[in-house]
Amino acid sequence: MDAVVVEDLTKRFGDFAAVDGVSFTVPAGQLVAVLGPNGAGKTTTLEMLEGFLAPSSGTIRILGQEPRRGGRAWRARVGLVLQSTSLDPELTVRETLELYAPLYPQPRPVDEILELIDLTDDAESKVGTLSGGQQRRVDLAIGIIGRPEILFLDEPTTGLDPEARRRTWAAVENLTEEGSTVLLTTHYIDEAERLADRVIVLAGGRIVTDTTPAELRATGGPPRIRLPLPDPARAAQLPPSLAAHLDESGRELLIRTDDLAAGLRELTTWADAEHLDLAGLEVGPPSLEDAYLALIGEPSTTEETHDA
Amino acid sequence: MPDQTLPSAAELLLLQIRYQARLLLANGRAMVIGVGLPVILLITSANSHGHVSRTSVAGRAVFGLTLTAWNTYGIRLVAAREAGILKRWRATPLPRSCYFAARIIATTLVSVLAGAVTVAVAVLLYHTHLTVDIALGLLIVFVLAAAAWAAAATALTAAVSTVESASPVFILIYFPVVIISGVLGTINEPGWLHTLARYLPAEPSIHAATSVLRHAPGAPLVPTHDLIVLAAWVVVGLAVALPTFRWEPHRPVQRRAARSAA
Repeated sequence: MDAVVVEDLTKRFGDFAAVDGVSFTVPAGQLVAVLGPNGAGKTTTLEMLEGFLAPSSGTIRILGQEPRRGGRAWRARVGLVLQSTSLDPELTVRETLELYAPLYPQPRPVDEILELIDLTDDAESKVGTLSGGQQRRVDLAIGIIGRPEILFLDEPTTGLDPEARRRTWAAVENLTEEGSTVLLTTHYIDEAERLADRVIVLAGGRIVTDTTPAELRATGGPPRIRLPLPDPARAAQLPPSLAAHLDESGRELLIRTDDLAAGLRELTTWADAEHLDLAGLEVGPPSLEDAYLALIGEPSTTEETHDA
Repeated sequence: MPDQTLPSAAELLLLQIRYQARLLLANGRAMVIGVGLPVILLITSANSHGHVSRTSVAGRAVFGLTLTAWNTYGIRLVAAREAGILKRWRATPLPRSCYFAARIIATTLVSVLAGAVTVAVAVLLYHTHLTVDIALGLLIVFVLAAAAWAAAATALTAAVSTVESASPVFILIYFPVVIISGVLGTINEPGWLHTLARYLPAEPSIHAATSVLRHAPGAPLVPTHDLIVLAAWVVVGLAVALPTFRWEPHRPVQRRAARSAA
């Protein structure tokens, strides 16, 4: 059974189409990441799925129900984390959770959820005194306290430090293990790669691709060998066959090849002769980020860094 | 199959009233202004014989009550909306009417408390006459007055788009209304202004509270005209608020996107 069915969804603000003819389905139990640059239509799509925004045209069914007509029973089956934190700063973490828990037929025990989001030690602290990352986890706790069948997460880890992000990921993984469907928007490719069964990339309000992370990564081209060359003198000594793979800055060698062994052999032979340190050498498939950036037509972060 | 029965609306309403009242009472600055300032003004209105008039007691009590029911409540409601708190509540199984009603009921309770403190100080320090009948009459007036102001404030929130503009808008409307209504002293001239004040929610609150404090056996406890005006403000405030109330913050991002695309 599909938890989410979206057909030809469009949202216009005046003449501007923020979402333009988007269609997709999400089977129950799947975690789908929606990626896209700023202004791609991710949040607008999510807000229509949550029932906050009325579509200009198209149809939406969440758990078999049109979100704008979803009643109390439907809302009890849906959890969400908004793009920005939306909590009363005067309440403690425990008070906040105790306030939301009674709204649901089968809420998680407050102590269990405090442990899940790793805020047991801060349970008696006022929300307003917590760090941004901790507040975001309280937001997540409210989103999952009712054991939702579907959870919408709008950039849940934006602005969090790496440790807080990993804790958030663990909480989301815990939920998916229990069978919940999750629709996640994010700017972080590693987040999508870690969590998602499937990736939908939006750009300009339209779906650019709808695939698995592995398949998206495969669109990034052949495997690559990367070697930083901070000393320009070294680059000048490269044989012509390797010099052809220097990037525009002349400070990095980037060989894209299906024959990694041959590429490595040539590189290591030259490095051995030149007594070059290979500590920075990287060999591997194209990253999901490379594939994503190629898809939306932006230079990779490596290229940006070198251009700067 | 686990029990999927939703909690009753009455149960959730009580929970929400407790939560909203707790948030209001936890706001120290609002409590100092809503409870402390009217008491200070009451004390400064005492004459050299240590006596305060019943009009002064009624005016100061209504001042405290309306500060809470109009300014504190209205400004906090806009702030909660713009912070996304209302949007979050709207997405939960809490009936929207419960949230709406709980905020107004909790505000009414705390506002009545603010008015009652002023009356209690008047009784303790200045021996203002208080019987069970008078206390009951004041309770009726305060409840109706607080509900009228809170309903009107709820209606106004739809016209206030940012947290920054909430305070100026609410205060700029509030002070002219309460001053022409006699909160800080009776104003009888010009006549048209006095007539206008009789149909705004402040003057009937003060007039009704003064009448109750002067209650003589055999006379009606609360003037009917004042009760009708206050009840009308409750009805009109809610009638305007229900269809226009906004649960979500304003959306400048989409407007900017639309403009840039145009």
